[in-house]
Amino acid sequence: MFKFIKQYVEKIEGAQIYPLISMFIFLLFFIALLWYVKKMDKNKVAELSKIPLNETDENCDTGSSSLL
Amino acid sequence: MQVEKFYYDNKTVRNFAYATIIWGAVGMLAGLWVALQLVFPSLNITQYGSFGRLRPLHTNAVIFAFVGNGIFMGVYYSLQRLCKARMFSDKLSAIHFWGWQLIIVAAAITLPLGLSQGAEYAELIWPIDLAITIIWVVFGWNMFGTIIKRREKHLYVAIWFYIATFVTVAVLHIVRSGELPYSWLQSYSWYAGVQDALVQWWYGHNAVAFFLTTPYLGLMYYFMPKAANRPIYSYRLSIIHFWALIFLYIWAGPHHLLYTALPNWAQSLGVVFSLMLIFPSWGGMINGLLTLRGAWDKVRDDVILKFFVVAVTCYGMATFEGPMLSLKSVSAISHYTDWIVAHVHVGALGWNGMLTFGVLYWLIPRIFKTNLFSKKLANQHFWLGTLGILFYAIPMYWAGFMQSSMWKQFTESGQLKYSFLETSINMKPFYAMRSLGGLIYLAGVLLMIYNIYKTVKAGKLVANEEAEAAPLEKVYVKHTGEHWHRWIERRPVQLMIGSLVVILIGGVIELVPTFLVKSNVPTIASVQPYTPLELQGRDIYVREGCYACHSQMIRPFRSETERYGEYSKAGEFVYDHPFQWGSKRTGPDLAREGTGNLKKSDGWHFRHFREPASMSTGSIMPSYAFMIEQNLDTSSTVAKIKAMQTLGVPYAKGYEYQANSDLVQQAKTIQTNLKTEGIELPPNKEIIALIAYIQRLGKDISKPQNK
Repeated sequence: MFKFIKQYVEKIEGAQIYPLISMFIFLLFFIALLWYVKKMDKNKVAELSKIPLNETDENCDTGSSSLL
Repeated sequence: MQVEKFYYDNKTVRNFAYATIIWGAVGMLAGLWVALQLVFPSLNITQYGSFGRLRPLHTNAVIFAFVGNGIFMGVYYSLQRLCKARMFSDKLSAIHFWGWQLIIVAAAITLPLGLSQGAEYAELIWPIDLAITIIWVVFGWNMFGTIIKRREKHLYVAIWFYIATFVTVAVLHIVRSGELPYSWLQSYSWYAGVQDALVQWWYGHNAVAFFLTTPYLGLMYYFMPKAANRPIYSYRLSIIHFWALIFLYIWAGPHHLLYTALPNWAQSLGVVFSLMLIFPSWGGMINGLLTLRGAWDKVRDDVILKFFVVAVTCYGMATFEGPMLSLKSVSAISHYTDWIVAHVHVGALGWNGMLTFGVLYWLIPRIFKTNLFSKKLANQHFWLGTLGILFYAIPMYWAGFMQSSMWKQFTESGQLKYSFLETSINMKPFYAMRSLGGLIYLAGVLLMIYNIYKTVKAGKLVANEEAEAAPLEKVYVKHTGEHWHRWIERRPVQLMIGSLVVILIGGVIELVPTFLVKSNVPTIASVQPYTPLELQGRDIYVREGCYACHSQMIRPFRSETERYGEYSKAGEFVYDHPFQWGSKRTGPDLAREGTGNLKKSDGWHFRHFREPASMSTGSIMPSYAFMIEQNLDTSSTVAKIKAMQTLGVPYAKGYEYQANSDLVQQAKTIQTNLKTEGIELPPNKEIIALIAYIQRLGKDISKPQNK
């Protein structure tokens, strides 16, 4: 596969374009992510964040305030 | 809906917990030992116990044995509970546990024997690499099996971190393990020179990211809310934290190679992404710490929360420092010094260590259905741990700055003010203080071992813990207008593919051009392959782990070119499988050791290897006198030259059969040289090959150029 694309990559004048492309990809990705997170349903967020606490653990005294 | 009854597997969790404790103590003890070797070189006892062979033992033990088992302990505990399901297969759990321990034992045997690939944190030989691949797949299989048969619809954020860890470590391990075996135990890296360096630090940096960071962030997102009994500060932030972190981390590797012969564009890419990394990293730290909002008073009497707070704070410090160290001007000062050693130990002792201890104190009493034996001892452990980190890190920061400024200082008449040896001797008190820090930290761990032993004694393991939950609905009714992320949160396989795509973008954009664009590694006509004797000598250099203390990469600064000669060029390393640039200068750079002002006679090197302090008073280098006794194994020459030919090193066709006679001839020349200096030695000794290699270093480009 490398052989197949090699001839094309070698023609690229200056690989400096790579950082620009990657910054652009990241920016788009990040904006989409922020937009999504902002749109999330408040109740759903509360529900998701409680998942670890739904489980009842063995009650024992390890000095954890949760058990004091 | 009918509630189902099932049982959590606590036995595997217990096994991994014991393993992390035992290997942690072993790894830290090895660390303390190598730290002391830098103060008392006489502690380099026999070749099996020399610094160059034990230092990889320390790093591998701490990373893969201590933290590795810590990851599995935390994942096996939390994953079952977050999925409301027992682990997919008890058999796979057992294979995973015992397989991983066997790998560790194999590493602990092979590294002191000098069986090494010569790449930092990837030293293990190819058969072990293969075993790691198999066991890693077993782990992934078991994890995905559990996720698929879960009873909780949504995948909590901790699980995403586990999935990203699995998939990225798999990719990293496979790419870094690209090697061509030339015997049943040993191999050469597929990559050479600059390319090998880029692969190495892409791997090395992301081993930090995806072995030491993302799985532990998953643990933080589970155990922190558990211990504080309140949900994570912001679930929204955790989503941003996850995606931004895995996207950015993969690019940052080249910051380990600033001012080296790596193409400039790749260095810049590394710097930009390293700087951006501070945002997701601090987002994660803030998310962890703010979970305790309104509950900080609890931290006063809850020892587990204390461990967590110090761990997350250390994470914050290390991830602030990381981007700063990635600035080229800061790297110019910090690279090759003990500053970096301080930085990684804030991460390892602080973030990984303290988080592991917190999880252990929380989890052991629960799976043994008892109370912690002594909160007081745990508290003392906390203070010893915290003090240990400070006693370790502060002298190393100080030493790093001092070392760097001494290396760079010139006299008024324009000469280097200090010889390398002077700078090295000045480090000794700091090395001693650092050892004290390590000792304090280890003492804390010993207290923990006693405390946990007593706790375990008082309780009884609940091997199969009963739980109940309703199964998932078979058909999921999709809400209208549902978002893609909600969709992906229910689908582990898609989440894995998504993570894979995100991490591959960075890896591909960085690695592919360096491999394919010819102009990135300009060739130098006078650079020739190593002679067979030099090649054998080079393999001894790799075997002894010389790269742990010596670099072979001169940066383009006046302070370096004055001391070591012409700065290093990418084209000089095209036949170096593996590259040996190193990352630390406990000893001087050796890139031009065989040429210019640095050139010494064969006899000097002989005496120096026999007893370094006899030639450089105060040197802390171990003695390599055993090489005077040991015969060079020339039976491997044919296979080695053949392997090199396969890798593209231009030895003439059929040269492998002539190689050994050339080797003997060159050895005899060195024998004659030694004789003129009053040293009688047969030509078949290992030391002769090593001298040949050292004398070759840097010679290529001091030859007249052909073009």
